[in-house]
Amino acid sequence: MKLKAAIIGLDGVPIHLLEDLAQRGVMPHMKELIEQGCLMKMRSSLPANSAASWSSMITGANPGTHGVYGFTDFIPGTYTVSYHSSHKLKVPPFWRTEPEKRVLVINLPAAYPAQPINGVMITGFVSPQFEKAVYPSGLLPRLRDGGYEVDVDASLFNKSISLFLKKLEDTLDQRTRVLDLLLEKDGYDLLFFVVTGTDRIEHYLWDAYADETHDQYPDFFGFFEKVDNAVDHVTSKLSPDAPLMMLSDHGMGPAETAVNLNTLLREEGYLVAGDNPRKNYNNIREETKAFASESTKIYLNRVNRFPRGSVKRGEAQQVQEELVDLLSGIKHCGRKVVEAVHHRQDVFTGPEAGNAPDLVVTPMEGFSFKTGLFKDSLYEEDFLSGTHTEDDAFLYLRGLSQGDLPDDPCIEDSIHVFRKIYGDLHDTA
Amino acid sequence: MIQHNEEKTCWNCPAALLKGNVDFRACGQSIAAIRDKISEEGLLVECARRPDLGMFEPSITFEQCPEWRETQFGYLLRDMRVMILGIDGYLGWTLALKLARLGCRVSGIDNYLRRKAVAEKGSMSVVPIADMETRLRTAKERLGVEIDFRELDLLNRDELEGYLREVQPEAVVHYGEIPSAPYSMVDAEHAIKTQHNNTLGTLGVLFLVKEICPEANILKLGTMGEYGTPLTGRPIFEGLFPADAVLTWRGQEWSMGGELTPRDPASFYHVSKVQDTFNVYEACKYWWLRSYDVMQGVIFGVHTEEVSEHPDLRTRLDVDEWFGTVINRFVAQAVLGIPLTVYGSGEQIRGYLALEDAMECMVRLLSSPPEPGQYDVVNQLSQLHKVKDLAEIVARVGSQRHGLTVRIQRVENPRVEADEHPFLVVAKKLRENLGYQPKTTLEVEIDKMFTLLLQPGVRGRLESVKGTVFPKTWWSGEHKETMTLEVYEPGNHAAAGYSPELVVTEHNGDD
Repeated sequence: MKLKAAIIGLDGVPIHLLEDLAQRGVMPHMKELIEQGCLMKMRSSLPANSAASWSSMITGANPGTHGVYGFTDFIPGTYTVSYHSSHKLKVPPFWRTEPEKRVLVINLPAAYPAQPINGVMITGFVSPQFEKAVYPSGLLPRLRDGGYEVDVDASLFNKSISLFLKKLEDTLDQRTRVLDLLLEKDGYDLLFFVVTGTDRIEHYLWDAYADETHDQYPDFFGFFEKVDNAVDHVTSKLSPDAPLMMLSDHGMGPAETAVNLNTLLREEGYLVAGDNPRKNYNNIREETKAFASESTKIYLNRVNRFPRGSVKRGEAQQVQEELVDLLSGIKHCGRKVVEAVHHRQDVFTGPEAGNAPDLVVTPMEGFSFKTGLFKDSLYEEDFLSGTHTEDDAFLYLRGLSQGDLPDDPCIEDSIHVFRKIYGDLHDTA
Repeated sequence: MIQHNEEKTCWNCPAALLKGNVDFRACGQSIAAIRDKISEEGLLVECARRPDLGMFEPSITFEQCPEWRETQFGYLLRDMRVMILGIDGYLGWTLALKLARLGCRVSGIDNYLRRKAVAEKGSMSVVPIADMETRLRTAKERLGVEIDFRELDLLNRDELEGYLREVQPEAVVHYGEIPSAPYSMVDAEHAIKTQHNNTLGTLGVLFLVKEICPEANILKLGTMGEYGTPLTGRPIFEGLFPADAVLTWRGQEWSMGGELTPRDPASFYHVSKVQDTFNVYEACKYWWLRSYDVMQGVIFGVHTEEVSEHPDLRTRLDVDEWFGTVINRFVAQAVLGIPLTVYGSGEQIRGYLALEDAMECMVRLLSSPPEPGQYDVVNQLSQLHKVKDLAEIVARVGSQRHGLTVRIQRVENPRVEADEHPFLVVAKKLRENLGYQPKTTLEVEIDKMFTLLLQPGVRGRLESVKGTVFPKTWWSGEHKETMTLEVYEPGNHAAAGYSPELVVTEHNGDD
């Protein structure tokens, strides 16, 4: 065998979906694997987005330590949103701690740009320039020739759902083909293979999952059949007793109503925005006390953190409490909107906690959050039908029973568990 | 102090490299870089100077960005790499020194075409100018600045490409053109030479910028002469119609906002500039280049702080009929005792700008680049005058401050142009958007020129080119003497005809 161990990521797959699809016979290979090991619920990171959660997974650390709170962050001293870069990670990913081991990484989100690795790195979403998504770059021509794409153009969904679905399948096929191609030539101590089409189809077609009358009901299940085949394809490269971990980075649930958090903050006087035609955070005026970003993150407009910061250190706690009260109290059509509001000091630990959002909000089922600065209406129908959930990701390890795993694991525990159970990354024969 | 460009952002920064749009709808999905359909939503840039920042939305203001530092002309990109095409010329050398002293990393090319063309016509700069080697050495010794120079023809694209790749300029100032209407009207050879150099040179530069440094701020020197002097008196806007301009015809109305305004060039040289305008406009549209087309008035004067620092730093001053500009020529004529030559009625109205102010305007334009794909136009002038009124001012300064006896002569107008015309010019952007206020006056600059030209060494050179001052080039192509119609004492011609109108603020524009 050219592979000694594998980690398979299924982006955005909640444990209940996995169990359901396994039981229904949609994912027979997965069912078989579940029977050979231990599957349990796992908490995602806070916030529960792929950048923060996969960063927690690969570093085994809390966002307050590795410093990544999402795909976007604010450049210090500005209101400018910067995109995630692997260079921002303050804790090295696990493969760097054993540099002598050869590792093959395919489609890992939030790993862009690809950094040197003893092996191969092909980053997943978001990878703006393909030529920086692959290490070593000598692989680029072969990947291009094979039509490899990092991600599906989401705008396709509105143009043609069938084409969108076809692209999802194509990209999955491309990844398994690349795996075959690379294994033809080399052996690796560890494969880290992530399926991200799962997250995509759930975002756009979660409503099809539970609705037999939905036009795409069969397509939803059809895609997971393909995922099951891909999992089988990957695991077939391993010996039956080789270490195998599978996990998702967060769960997914229905999104029916989107709540525009910045609209709420504006209506309640916490956010005052100017009228610059550019719809970005530079519109924030000095009177602003708080604003929301990237769905669930709320920042206080702190003095010394933002150019027109107005919340002084001594006032921060009071503003936080006011916001907790405000958010906890909102209701829509009689239903509570917010499940929990997490304080920075409660969820982030480590030297990077000072750059964390001040609050992280999690929605009740059926709600999602948006953070456009200039939305007029507080509530609107969500254009996505699925939204991330924090408490129902999954963790699976082959050959183990539940007693071997910690209670109530969190995603940052997963790599520690993997190492504890299986030892360090396996030696190449 | 509030700076004119403090709220400009990465959109305007040549160090911000456009990378493409990211779809934020679900988990920030990526799309390949898409230069052909840049939209503001989800647009990411990378900072060429700070790659460690990764990709980010282009919203850091110049005030916030440590790469932009505050100067008296606004925030200026620290160590900005500026390449000046035509760095040996009247404007090019002057700007090079100014920018270098402001901390820019200045580079430039020149093939000495101007020196050669002036010599070809039997003239020379009446202010002695050093060769480039001496200029560069003196700049280093006296001003402590390093300027990188290549002797290079703009039309030599292979070599220019290599130099651009080496420098990777963040701004390109394009002065590399033959700047003379009469020169282009001498004969077919001169007309073709002018249009070949100017039009094809500019076109080649645009292609190279697209390939090598597409984010660079292109400052292309145009001329107010591109517009002509419309006899209807309609406003001369800044290159593009304002948003509220409306065309009414047959009872219907059409918005003209954003369209190029009419051009009516007045020589084959001006035609080359109009052709440049269209080429630059199209390049911005096709390739997301950014450019200011600088519709400059007639420059006068010979002084800036930097060129006055040492004789070897002086910029050229031409007074011949082909390359001398009108005020400079009038001062030269006054020193030589030649009655100042006013063409025709002398009622022609033109825009003017002191050399020192022109340089400040260029610095301000460099400090506030247009957005990607934006073709912008500024009318760069500080004042409007009738030619005969200028003659009066020069005569007055010459006689009152330098004891000269100055007379004025009306000569036949060898050009094809309206002697008398209305002239309503809008020149608001530099003042309203870029914080420019004229720093000097006509009288002060004329006085400085007299002082310089009356120095014995300079005066001697002036005497030696005396024969090139009187106009002989007829737009009609005829080879004949230009007749003097009248010689008169200053103060004897009362005001008549149209009054110049210059709109420099929204307020005076609406009055």
